Order: sequence, then C-alpha cells, then structure tokens
Amino acid sequence: MTTMTMDTGMGITTTEPALLRLLAWLSPAFPTGGFAYSHGIEWAVEAGDVTDETSLRAWLADVIAHGAGRGDAILLHHAHRAAFDADALAGIAELAAASAPSQERRMETLNQGAAFLLAAAAWGAAPSGGEGIAYPVAVGAIAGRHGVDAHAACCGYLQAVAANLISAAVRLVPLGQSAGLRVLAALEPALLATAREAAAATLDDLGGCAFRSDLASMRHETQYTRLFRS
Amino acid sequence: MYDAAYRSDAAPLQRATGGLALRFRRRDRRVALADLWQSGCLKARFPRSFDPHRAEAVQLNVGGGVAAGDRLDVAIAVEDGASVTFAAQAAERFYRALPGAAPAVVRNAVSVADGASLEWLPQETILFDRAALDRRLDVTLDAGARFLGLESLVFGRAAMGETVERASLRDLIRIRRAGRLVLHDAVRLEGEVAAALARPAIANGARAVATLVQVAPEAEAMAAPLRAALADAPAECGVSAWDGMLLSRIVAPDGAALRASVVTALAVLRDGRALPRVWMC
Repeated sequence: MTTMTMDTGMGITTTEPALLRLLAWLSPAFPTGGFAYSHGIEWAVEAGDVTDETSLRAWLADVIAHGAGRGDAILLHHAHRAAFDADALAGIAELAAASAPSQERRMETLNQGAAFLLAAAAWGAAPSGGEGIAYPVAVGAIAGRHGVDAHAACCGYLQAVAANLISAAVRLVPLGQSAGLRVLAALEPALLATAREAAAATLDDLGGCAFRSDLASMRHETQYTRLFRS
Repeated sequence: MYDAAYRSDAAPLQRATGGLALRFRRRDRRVALADLWQSGCLKARFPRSFDPHRAEAVQLNVGGGVAAGDRLDVAIAVEDGASVTFAAQAAERFYRALPGAAPAVVRNAVSVADGASLEWLPQETILFDRAALDRRLDVTLDAGARFLGLESLVFGRAAMGETVERASLRDLIRIRRAGRLVLHDAVRLEGEVAAALARPAIANGARAVATLVQVAPEAEAMAAPLRAALADAPAECGVSAWDGMLLSRIVAPDGAALRASVVTALAVLRDGRALPRVWMC
C-alpha cells in the first residue's frame, strides 16, 4: 500500500489512501440518505427565516458554530480517539443520541449514522452494531479505524453537512446553483474555525445556543407540506 | 500570616455557599420528608399541601442573588411512590462577574424511584450583564419514575431597561433513565450574548428561553395537546416527543411573555393542577 504523505497546506497531513477514502465517504454520492434531511431548514424557509443567499449563509453559520455543527465536530473527534475502544465508543454514541433536541433531528443523525456504517463496510473493519450510532460518531470511528486524520475527517464532515443543507435550501427557497456555491465558499472560515475548536474540546464543552434552529426542527414535525424528513 | 498584612493585596471577595438535601418517601399513604439537610444560604420550606399524595418543597436563597464564585448544591431523592413538587421562592438573579472571575456554580441532582414522581419547577433564572454561570441539573430516573422539569433563562429584565451585552453561560440538563442517558441538553453561550441572541438561528432578538422536559408513560401523547395549547402563546414554541420523553423549547421576547407561555404549558402537562403558590406571588 502506498502511504505517501501530503501536506495540504492547512496543517493537515494525510496519506493518499486516507484522502481517497475521505473523498468517497463524504461525497454526496455516498449512500447515507442525507438528501432526505433538511435539519429544520424546510420550516425556516416556510417561516420566512431563510429567504435568500444572505439569510441562508447567516442561518448555516450559526448552525455550524453554535448548533449541531460544533457538537458533531466534538463528538467526531472523540469517536476517532475511541475507534478501537468499544466501551468508550458506546458511551460517545449514547451521548450523541441524547444530544438531539427533537425526534426528527435524532432520526436524521441516527439514520445517517447507520447508513454510513453499512456503506463503509465495503472498506472492511466496521465496528459492530450500527444501531443508535449518530452520524458524526460513525464518521469519527470509521476514520479512526482506517488511519484517516481526525482533523481532516472533521473538516470534511462539516463541509459535507453544510453542502447537504445548502442543497436542500437551493431546492426549497429556491436558489440558483451558483448562489448555493457562493454560500458554501463563504462558510469556509466558519467550518475551519469550528473544526479547529473541536480538536481541543472535551465532552464537557458540548453545548450550543441555536435555539431557533432547534425550534425549526420541532415545528417541521407538523408542517403541512413536506419534502424532507427533518 | 505575615504576608496577609500587606494592605495593597486585593481583599478576597466573600463567596456564598449553599446546600440543600431532601429525601421523600411515602408513609401511610402520605408523602413524608425522610431527610432534610440545609446549609449556608439555602433553606427549604414545606407549604401545607392539600393533596395528601403530593408534597411541596420550596427553596429559599437567603443570600438574595448569586455572584460569581458562589456555589449552590441541591440534592433531592424521591422514593417509594412519593410525589413531590419542587419550586423556588423567587426568580434567581445571577450578578455581574469581574473579568476572569470563576463562574457561579450550581449543581442540582435529583433521583426518582419507580412509581415516584418529581416536578422540578424553579422560577426564572435572571442573568445580569457579564454574569458567569455554570449550572447542571442531573436527573436519575428508575424505569418507572415520572419527571417534569423546567429551566427558564431571562437575559436581562426588559422592563428594568436591563440588557445583557456579554455573559458566560453553561446550562446542562442531563437525564438518565434505567441507567441509560436519554437527554443531554446543553446550553452554551459565551461572549457577545446580545449580538448572538439577535441572530435568526439563535433567538432572532428574543431575550428569554425556556426548556421543558417530561419523562412519563404518557409523554408522547402529550405532544399534540401541548402544541395546540401553545399555538396562541406570546412566544415561539416547539414541541417534540420520542421514546417516552417530551421536550419543548419556548423562545420569548421577554420574561413576561416567557412566563405566560410556560404557565400555559404547565397547565397542560400538569393536568390543570394549580401551580405552587410561590409562582403566583
């Protein structure tokens, strides 16, 4: 196996196989079913909180820095460290599942986690039992087992989540493809700052304040017309 | 010793501590207080209850507000089929912390046995500008225990012209049922609080937030009536339920609108029973 190391210029060093795996696992084509979830954005669009490129960028920046993004990033790092420790990993999985603020957000992360583990089994070495393992915990544990750098996995994960929500908003608002891509480009500093903060965080640092993002996911449960499952 | 005589040293600020430990059990079909321990600035009062199956306990903080560095500990155990409603005599104020000061630390730990029930209904937590608070509510439930809990946060009293520009807040509700962690609801707000609360995904300018949680066999069935009751509340309300647990968040423009909405929600979740008398003062 080639293990040539590359410096990506962002303080991340990764090997060629690790880079390929990360690109595969966090690609929109990887069958986690992410396209079915909007993280409450379908309600935020209905309620008039997300109406254009500017409001989408602001909403997502807070979801990343003060909502699920930051919490997921911390959980991913801890799952990465616990990749070969079944008991520790079970504790992190329990914490991740208990951190969901609504039934749909819980389903969103648990279903994607289970689907991710199933699909990643093609690379071998999957941890046993995918039930109740949230998406960031699944990504962290698999990355840890395959020698993929935690910070690289975390940056990739946050970007994949942001891109998926932008894709949902592009359909819901609706927005043009290039508007969506401009939002993704503009979120880069927020994604990197959150990933860097998460690398040093303890589980006691979990917590956020994206109250109205939580409200949106709760109110989505009874939204009359719905394209998304969350 | 000798060093302490240097008058130029800053005098250490007086720190308050308070502790309260209560244990309830059922005795002859009535709820009895089995243990009571009080220390420092925390005291408990037990108003006469007209319901023999339910005891009421009221916490008093004789310190009159909480400053940075203060430490408050409350422990409640509800055993053997007892039902207890816990409230606080008044809203609790958390005052400005000096830069770099340790936060006020509040540790609340409650446990409820099979067939027992606890309602944790303190009044509002009022944060002053530059307040620093680290609070936890740890709830340990047997599989057949019932729990209703509320934490209300008010960022400055609007009617008093107060605003909270900056603060440091960590507020964690952690629930274990039958040994399993079922809720880890962690609020974390650091730094420029007013600017953060102004943003749409956070509070859209609202200044008061409550979290309500119920763990009970009927919790999931309560979601629909609670949503209906809160539809006309003067606040934005969300309700969700899963796995024998109901979670609700209420985001209100100010403390008065928050209280009105919380009272509406509690009427539904408590089957119309009257709130503790201290809530009405």
